[in-house]
Amino acid sequence: MEEKTYLEEVDRNIYDFKNKDDYDYKIKKGLTKEIVEEISRQKNDPDWMREIRLKALDIYNSLELPTWGPDLSVLDMDEIATYVRPKSKLNSSWEDVPEDIKDTFEKLGIPEAEKKSLAGVGAQYDSEVVYHSMKEDLIKQGVIYTDMETAVREYPDIVKEHFMKCVPVNDHKFVALHAAVWSGGSFVYVPKGVKLDFPLQSYFRLNSPESGQFEHTLIIVEEGASLHFIEGCSAPKYNKVNLHAGCVELYVKDNAYLRYSTIENWSKNMLNLNTKKAIIGKNAQVDWVSGSFGSKISMLYPMSILNGENAKTEYTGISFAGGGQNLDTGFKVIHNAPNTSSVINSKSISKNGGKCTYRSLVRIAENAKNSKSTVSCESLMLDDISVSDTIPVNDIRTDDVEFSHEATIGKLSDKAIFYLMSRGLTEEDAKAMIVRGFAYPISKELPIEYAVEMNNLINLELKGAIG
Amino acid sequence: MKDLVINESSTRTARNYLINNIKLSDIKIPKIKEFKNIKVISESGKDVISEDVSKDKLTYGIDEAFTNEVLENANHKLKINVNSKTNKNIYIRYKFDENNQTLVDNIDIESEEGCRETINIVLESEGNREYYHNGIIRVNAKENTDIKVNIISLININSLNFISIENTLCDFAKVSYTYVEFGGRNSITNYYSNVIGKEAISNIDTVFLGKENQLFDANYLTDLRGVKSETNMIIEGALSDTSKNHFKGIIDFKKGCKKAKGNEQESCTLLSDKSKSIAMPVLLCSEEDVEGSHGNSAGKVGEKELFYIMSRGLTKKEAMRLLVKAKFNKILEKIHDDEYTCKINSLIDERLGE
Amino acid sequence: MKKLLEINDLRVNAEEKEILKGINLTINKGEIHVIMGPNGSGKSTTANAIFNNPMYTTVGGNIVFDGEDITNLSTDEIARKGVFMSFQSPEEIPGITVTNFLKFAKNKVTGKPVKIFEFKDEIKKYMEELNMNPKYAERNLNVGFSGGEKKKNEILQMLVLNPKLVILDETDSGLDVDAIKTVSKGIEMFKNENNAVLIITHNTKILHNLKVDKVHVLVDGKIVKTGPQSLATEIEEEGYGKYKAGV
Repeated sequence: MEEKTYLEEVDRNIYDFKNKDDYDYKIKKGLTKEIVEEISRQKNDPDWMREIRLKALDIYNSLELPTWGPDLSVLDMDEIATYVRPKSKLNSSWEDVPEDIKDTFEKLGIPEAEKKSLAGVGAQYDSEVVYHSMKEDLIKQGVIYTDMETAVREYPDIVKEHFMKCVPVNDHKFVALHAAVWSGGSFVYVPKGVKLDFPLQSYFRLNSPESGQFEHTLIIVEEGASLHFIEGCSAPKYNKVNLHAGCVELYVKDNAYLRYSTIENWSKNMLNLNTKKAIIGKNAQVDWVSGSFGSKISMLYPMSILNGENAKTEYTGISFAGGGQNLDTGFKVIHNAPNTSSVINSKSISKNGGKCTYRSLVRIAENAKNSKSTVSCESLMLDDISVSDTIPVNDIRTDDVEFSHEATIGKLSDKAIFYLMSRGLTEEDAKAMIVRGFAYPISKELPIEYAVEMNNLINLELKGAIG
Repeated sequence: MKDLVINESSTRTARNYLINNIKLSDIKIPKIKEFKNIKVISESGKDVISEDVSKDKLTYGIDEAFTNEVLENANHKLKINVNSKTNKNIYIRYKFDENNQTLVDNIDIESEEGCRETINIVLESEGNREYYHNGIIRVNAKENTDIKVNIISLININSLNFISIENTLCDFAKVSYTYVEFGGRNSITNYYSNVIGKEAISNIDTVFLGKENQLFDANYLTDLRGVKSETNMIIEGALSDTSKNHFKGIIDFKKGCKKAKGNEQESCTLLSDKSKSIAMPVLLCSEEDVEGSHGNSAGKVGEKELFYIMSRGLTKKEAMRLLVKAKFNKILEKIHDDEYTCKINSLIDERLGE
Repeated sequence: MKKLLEINDLRVNAEEKEILKGINLTINKGEIHVIMGPNGSGKSTTANAIFNNPMYTTVGGNIVFDGEDITNLSTDEIARKGVFMSFQSPEEIPGITVTNFLKFAKNKVTGKPVKIFEFKDEIKKYMEELNMNPKYAERNLNVGFSGGEKKKNEILQMLVLNPKLVILDETDSGLDVDAIKTVSKGIEMFKNENNAVLIITHNTKILHNLKVDKVHVLVDGKIVKTGPQSLATEIEEEGYGKYKAGV
């Protein structure tokens, strides 16, 4: 852990500053066929994409809200603008990004991160990607990293084959919504055998109030290729509800590797109803690292489908819910082939009236002989007004498996607090240190800037709660 | 014949996880006739036995229709006021046969302060006919009582078995169930324990053994409300052929249950590649100073153990039987009754035989 | 001689049970004191009470450290006044290395920024003296340490934080002869005329190389006898029998 983690004064303002809601085009609130058609027109969709949108709208209208999990009645689609185009086109040079938007991302440290240790960066502001760039040598090797709209235009065959195929449009209501109004997001194609040494990063920022962000991320990692993709999300706080219903589709072919890291720090008026799914081939592996800190309500359950023999997946996730937050997160894995394995490590911290729920599914199908799955979840309660629930489902359909699941709930150890205080640490520092230690297995998996950001968030969150 | 959607969990999750409730197709609910093959014995002779059972609805129960059937049409009502402090046995034995095919029983146990007793409820059957059992067991444990309830269900695997249980525990009360669930083509259990009292302890230990297309659906819930209250749910099962187990186990640390402890362990041995186990071990927590844990495992009998035992001359089937018995034993030994332990063991041999 | 610690008629309860029934103890600068006593006599309670451990309740008496009443100060304030305790079973804290933890604690105790390179050298030097594997400096605090390593790590923290008063709560228990020698050596390195040490122990091995000023025998929450170093030897040979009888 770096010194600055402790000593630097943390300023919540870096997330909460808001720019003037100054957009080029903002669609009417609500959701109708006309609005979906208008978005499609604004985006110059090809016919096949417009058809997907309109069909999705019908499905959206026919599906019910979930009958489980957090209460979503705060969401009124008539109050949400589904498309907000910022006053900027897609730029490949940072200098060309308009000042106010550039300023936002600079405050969030995006170009700095690119300079340091990234292979490429994308940045989305409201509904559109405003910046994309990637290192030259990767372009030469055939790596594609661009925004989704460009991909629809320039690589229609690849997109058509994969778009909403991993996550079916009728998966749930908010996937259907996403398919109807999606805008922005990243498209990554890593050709056979190409291994990226540095991560690609996309940053999503929702500035406009009472609006939604529906970015679509489509990543294809071809046979034997390897990629680390990082996404970061944030938004300033407004009094009205904002909605994020993104969709992430990951295709990881035989012998390929993908690591997908996310830090979500949406503001606390955000409903984060995100859907992420990976289809994993033979001998391939997908590792998920996920930190959920922001949002009013999150329903987020990344899913790995182990379709090839020897496919592997690991999920390492943490959520931290403070007052007014209901973070319902977890992981889903389907073992669909022999010799597959999954390892799930989940941690949650609830304080100041916040609610964390771990919700999961492990399904080992009949044909998944000799598969293994290990699940461990730990929940930490920082006070007696918070809530922490663990709701796993373990569906084992064949005998030749090793499956185990463990979970614990508890509070900070009084003994550990006393020990640290006897060395001169204040109660607040002692508690923060123990909480950071609790989160350490996850923070150590994150890129360093994100780990520091996560520790800052923990310190920041705890300052309000203790003392 | 009808399709039933019953035993709804109080904590819901995604519908396509297929665990919130159980769907049973083509279920024939028979007309309730008399059931006479019943023996009730109180060893202490001090307990007051009557038909004056509670008419109150259950907080949960398998389903309203099943509860109502018991409340309105029970063909055996049994109210036991436990008065003994000597830890003696009460036996309630039901035997299904040609003349006793449908049992709808309402057992209401009320334990007076400081009493200790073991209640053994035994279900047996003759032949392979389809029998029907729908019962309610209620335990109201007053201060400082220690009540053990052993439910031994050995009816045949063609029958229907529905049991709803509800417990209320006052200060320092202890209620411990041991449930041997071997019988029933469909064996559906709803268990709810409301641990109100301080330092009260509510335990349930279950062993289940599945054969052919038996289906077990268990929906267990313990609400911990009392300071320093405690609960343990231990479930050990083995499934052969195409049998299935659905287990929903919820420990809910309610606000105010400071220093409460809850532990839930479910382990299922799969003896065939067509057997299935689906489990939802839930911990709900609204209190800070508690200790909660759960564990869930599934898989086949360990290769190493199997090899070790076979190296001593046992066949694979014998070795498997032995290992299943060994797993069950730590629960079965809580039934201090040689006659039934013996019957249970010979039934394991029979069901896991050639 | 200047008083460093003064405990007056200290009465302490643990979960409503009376453990300390009126302890009186004065330690001057430059002294080494020893508290011995049978299991359950209140030795560890005394150490924890000085540190105001919230698991215990002080119901009477007071504790004066360096001229200031510290009875009602919080644990960290007491630590920052210059009191250090070596724990019987030190806690494992994942996520922070020994070096970073000490840097942070040192900064808290001294109120001054720590110069990292000199500080690392200092830690390295102490670790060599204590026969500790230098790799432990980069391991998480006490996580996966053996019993002996944990105790040495406590002594390392003592040397680095350089307090005025050190309380060693059964630091020698569970250690082999060599490790006890190392701990003794650590105490010798630390000791000077301006600080003081209070050793809580069962046996006298740890005392062999030290010049002990006073030995107190604690039985059933009270100091029943105070004497010179020879008292420790006497107890080792004869046990607590005759003191127990007197209570």
